[in-house]
Amino acid sequence: MASSSQIQPQPGAGRIAAAMAGQPQAVLIVLLLLLCGAISLAAAQFYSLANIIAILRQSALVLIVAAGMTTLLIGGEVDLSVGASLAFTGCVAMDATNRSGSVPVGALAALAFAGAVGLFNGLVVTRLRVNSLIATIATMMILQGGVYLYTREAVQNQHHLAAFTGIGAGYLGAFPIPVLLAAAVFAAVYIALRHTLFGRYTYALGANPIAARLSGLRVRRLKLAGFVITGLLVGVTGLILCSLMNAGQPTAGRGFELTVIAAVILGGTSLAGGRGSLIGTLLGVLVLKVIDNGIIILRWNQDFQMVVPGVVIVAATWLDTVRVRRRAV
Amino acid sequence: MNVRLAILLATTAALAPLTVLPARADEVPKHIGYVVNYATHEWYQNVIKGMKDHAKLLGIDVAVKDANLDVAKEVAGAEDFMSQKVDVLIITPVNEEGVVPLLRRAKAEGVPVVLEGNPVKGMTTMVAICDYDTGYFAGIEAGKYAQAHLGGVAKVMNVGLPLLSATVLRSYGFMDGIHTIIPGATLVHDLDGGGNPDRSLEVSSAALAQNGDIDIIYGINDSSSLGGLQAWKAAGKSQDNLLVVGTGGEGLAFINAMEKEPSYRIEAAMFPEKEGYTTIDAALALYNHKPVAEHIVSPTTPLVGDDWKKYYEVNGTTRSIKWDAVNALTPPAKCMKTAADLKKS
Repeated sequence: MASSSQIQPQPGAGRIAAAMAGQPQAVLIVLLLLLCGAISLAAAQFYSLANIIAILRQSALVLIVAAGMTTLLIGGEVDLSVGASLAFTGCVAMDATNRSGSVPVGALAALAFAGAVGLFNGLVVTRLRVNSLIATIATMMILQGGVYLYTREAVQNQHHLAAFTGIGAGYLGAFPIPVLLAAAVFAAVYIALRHTLFGRYTYALGANPIAARLSGLRVRRLKLAGFVITGLLVGVTGLILCSLMNAGQPTAGRGFELTVIAAVILGGTSLAGGRGSLIGTLLGVLVLKVIDNGIIILRWNQDFQMVVPGVVIVAATWLDTVRVRRRAV
Repeated sequence: MNVRLAILLATTAALAPLTVLPARADEVPKHIGYVVNYATHEWYQNVIKGMKDHAKLLGIDVAVKDANLDVAKEVAGAEDFMSQKVDVLIITPVNEEGVVPLLRRAKAEGVPVVLEGNPVKGMTTMVAICDYDTGYFAGIEAGKYAQAHLGGVAKVMNVGLPLLSATVLRSYGFMDGIHTIIPGATLVHDLDGGGNPDRSLEVSSAALAQNGDIDIIYGINDSSSLGGLQAWKAAGKSQDNLLVVGTGGEGLAFINAMEKEPSYRIEAAMFPEKEGYTTIDAALALYNHKPVAEHIVSPTTPLVGDDWKKYYEVNGTTRSIKWDAVNALTPPAKCMKTAADLKKS
């Protein structure tokens, strides 16, 4: 039997919200175009090559981790420790490169450390059955304190290897290396989510964990894989950020997790799990970073850079709720 | 008469040694409690280091509690110390309001209190640098540098922190100082880098893309100046006609930058170790009921080029302060401008 809410026509605002909820990516594309158009009308420098590169480089850092976070959220989990892990990873990467004089060793150390953090999160969630929100807040606290046990101050670049600096600030042809790394990560995670069993199972797990378990899916392994993938991607970003800053900074990455999550849910990935797309995440990242950039280009009060992601999280969560209701009726 | 004379002579002879003794030495407190607002920051790590080094020489035990930017923890830490009957309490306030009741309680219990960094209504004494003066004298040096090496042109990107009056004063001081040498100096970008390296990098990248026509980057702390410099480098710009000026000298970062980065030529050094050292002196004075100034100024000075070697030596990944050189610096008796002046303007 149809519910009364199906029979009654929705009010105007509700119809618009429902339409927006149904087409989140189209809404983001329109929003992005409007933002770019409006900012460039007010400040022509917006379309300068230097500014486009600046936006892409900053977007790359967020997108790499957001790709992992999208996978996690689709599978019904979340990781709030990515910002703290980012800072610690940068310190480990610089320290390992200083000690070894080798960029590959520094990179491997970054990946190993951040991957281990992901594994730890995954084990706490799957084996100890701690809610991922709580587990990763705990990990965040451990990492924020732990990094100061590891180093009391920023780990300086003692090796002066050009290849290390190139990871963050270098170019391959016309493209900044971080952007190319982000593109590679995007392609890999996109294929994994859309064209592999891992992707299909992750969607199934997030949509209905009990059904997924009863269908014989290895739920724990899938979740563990999501956390480890996210951890490894934090390792990649930590390495890039450490290279960009020319130091391992224990104070880096504060609030980074919120930017990542804001981008992912803005892109249409459901907090409830089971739905989302990497294309949406890419658009979410671009929207947030264009807003960030626009605030500076237009010389607005920079406090808006903190306010906007908060507003976006509320708006995107509301749209997600509308979308869930729409599917339920 | 002879008897009286004999008594007088005998008394004089007995008291004579006392008149030639030096004035009685200061009493030394045994235990000092320090509640720091944020111990993980490099600045405070070095404040604590300077405090402990000086206290050790005097035979004073210094215990430290970290408020970690939490007023409630700060109050609890100070109350713990008072319960433990410390001789003097040193506090770096997390915020003004939280410390006012503590000062009242300490006064009631007869525990002398030295504040570090920030003033609070009702305080006896505070040890702090002059933020405006620190920026001002760095600005003068930057102006001289711009005249000598940048064709007398000064276009500044300030990687600031508008949230705190101390850092706003530094930025104002810097621009006022540079104007004394180059009256036409302009502030091209006034940014909020949050005092963090990654945020400073991000906002500087966007600002440089909007208008890269600058030749001086000023940072309100080392993270800010380095974030600005890294944004400059990431944009593929040459450091040939650039001057970077940092503030703080909190750790090794500025030494590394002055040694390795051709544009990083000036550091407004604030000597956190000396600030810690001076708080112990202030604690000693209060404990002995000596008069103290309401604001005891801890010295700062701009370091140009290799000047840092006069004040610090580096051994591997640790730095040591050269106390003789730092103690020889004469701080001003009074700050040129304070937070109160910001409220007036």
